[in-house]
Amino acid sequence: MKAARAVITAASQGLSSCHTCGRVAAAAGHPCPRCGTPMHVRKPNSFERTVALIIAAVALYFPANLLPIMTVEGIGGAQRNTIVGGVFAFWETGSYPVAIIIFTASVIIPIVKIISLIILCVAVRRPTRNPRALTVLYRLTEIVGRWSMVDVFVVAILVTLVQLGRLMTIEPGPAALAFAGVVILTMLAAMSFDPRLIWDAHTRQSPGHPPHQP
Amino acid sequence: MAGDLPITSATLASEDLLVACHDCDALYHLPDLAEGQAACCARCDSRLLVNRRNALHRSTAFTMAATTLLVLANVFPFMSIRAAGQQNVIVLAESSVALWEHGMPWLAMVVGTFIVATPVAMCLGLLYVLLPLLLGKSLPGNRWVCRTIYRSGPWNMMEVFFIGILVSLLKLFSISEVIFGVAFWAFGMLILCLTAALAAIDRRELWLLIERSRSL
Repeated sequence: MKAARAVITAASQGLSSCHTCGRVAAAAGHPCPRCGTPMHVRKPNSFERTVALIIAAVALYFPANLLPIMTVEGIGGAQRNTIVGGVFAFWETGSYPVAIIIFTASVIIPIVKIISLIILCVAVRRPTRNPRALTVLYRLTEIVGRWSMVDVFVVAILVTLVQLGRLMTIEPGPAALAFAGVVILTMLAAMSFDPRLIWDAHTRQSPGHPPHQP
Repeated sequence: MAGDLPITSATLASEDLLVACHDCDALYHLPDLAEGQAACCARCDSRLLVNRRNALHRSTAFTMAATTLLVLANVFPFMSIRAAGQQNVIVLAESSVALWEHGMPWLAMVVGTFIVATPVAMCLGLLYVLLPLLLGKSLPGNRWVCRTIYRSGPWNMMEVFFIGILVSLLKLFSISEVIFGVAFWAFGMLILCLTAALAAIDRRELWLLIERSRSL
């Protein structure tokens, strides 16, 4: 366990650090002197942007799960598959690992991601007691988000391969676009959220006191 | 791991000798790290920076390996599908072209971006930045190239795409016979090499090298 200590933030010294190259400079609103990326003390309108993007993602989440993600037309007639239906199909044919991968990437990750972003947005508006845990939550949210794209790619690849093979036709359904939208919007939401707001909220809560350490 | 760093006191060093935690904004003096050491933030445990062994050489080596694999991945057949007495051999770039011809330009662009354009751009971009740096030189526009590589990071979903390929093939196994070609394995290795090339050098170190080579 480390001893609790007061910490000087870059912001308190009028400095900001570059998102791209990490250069510290007093150049908020100007390009970074090292790499040229625009610099900010905090990501601009972080809270508002994140909330707006989450709302949009939640709205798209319903069509993404209720509409078919692809239509398979074979000898046995047309068959429409939703995301969850696709998972069941894999499970029933005995491809358990694939069913688990798709279920995790397409169902669990988007829900968990939206919930953790909501937790983070609520947390920065209240006194936060556990900034370390919230920071870890944010890091995980950021890393894991892109893996949800797997299902969209699967549809794209199946459409390609099956067109080439001429075995049957697979058409992408409206849910593919909606789901891609959910993934992209939650990725943008995670990017526009600034984890430093967690620590700002934490220090505001206990001014002058060293940060609480578990 | 050198976890405990002296936290800046009231006397601040000059700006470019400072480092701020990306996750919690705590400010530190740039630590002097030996090769193989990493510095973490004392407040939130995020990694501040890491001094990798032979960072520039390793990064360049992985990029060159990736470029070689890129050529293999695009020349040899990716896979062949056999079903109903008919065999289709697929080369990587063909899949995108075929989608376009089937009236799906958007899908064609997405697929083309991930399997052809991104790997080519990443390999050439990294070589353009890294090779001159080995000689302590800097080519015009390398700051833009390097910035684009890092800022597009989360959107480079090549590895996600590769998992997508595996899942779709498992789906196809039930209705046809799929044979993997040389390009399939080359593409998998290419993704690993590109990831390794970016992981081999700390982005702060790379930017410092670029800055120094420009001021020479």
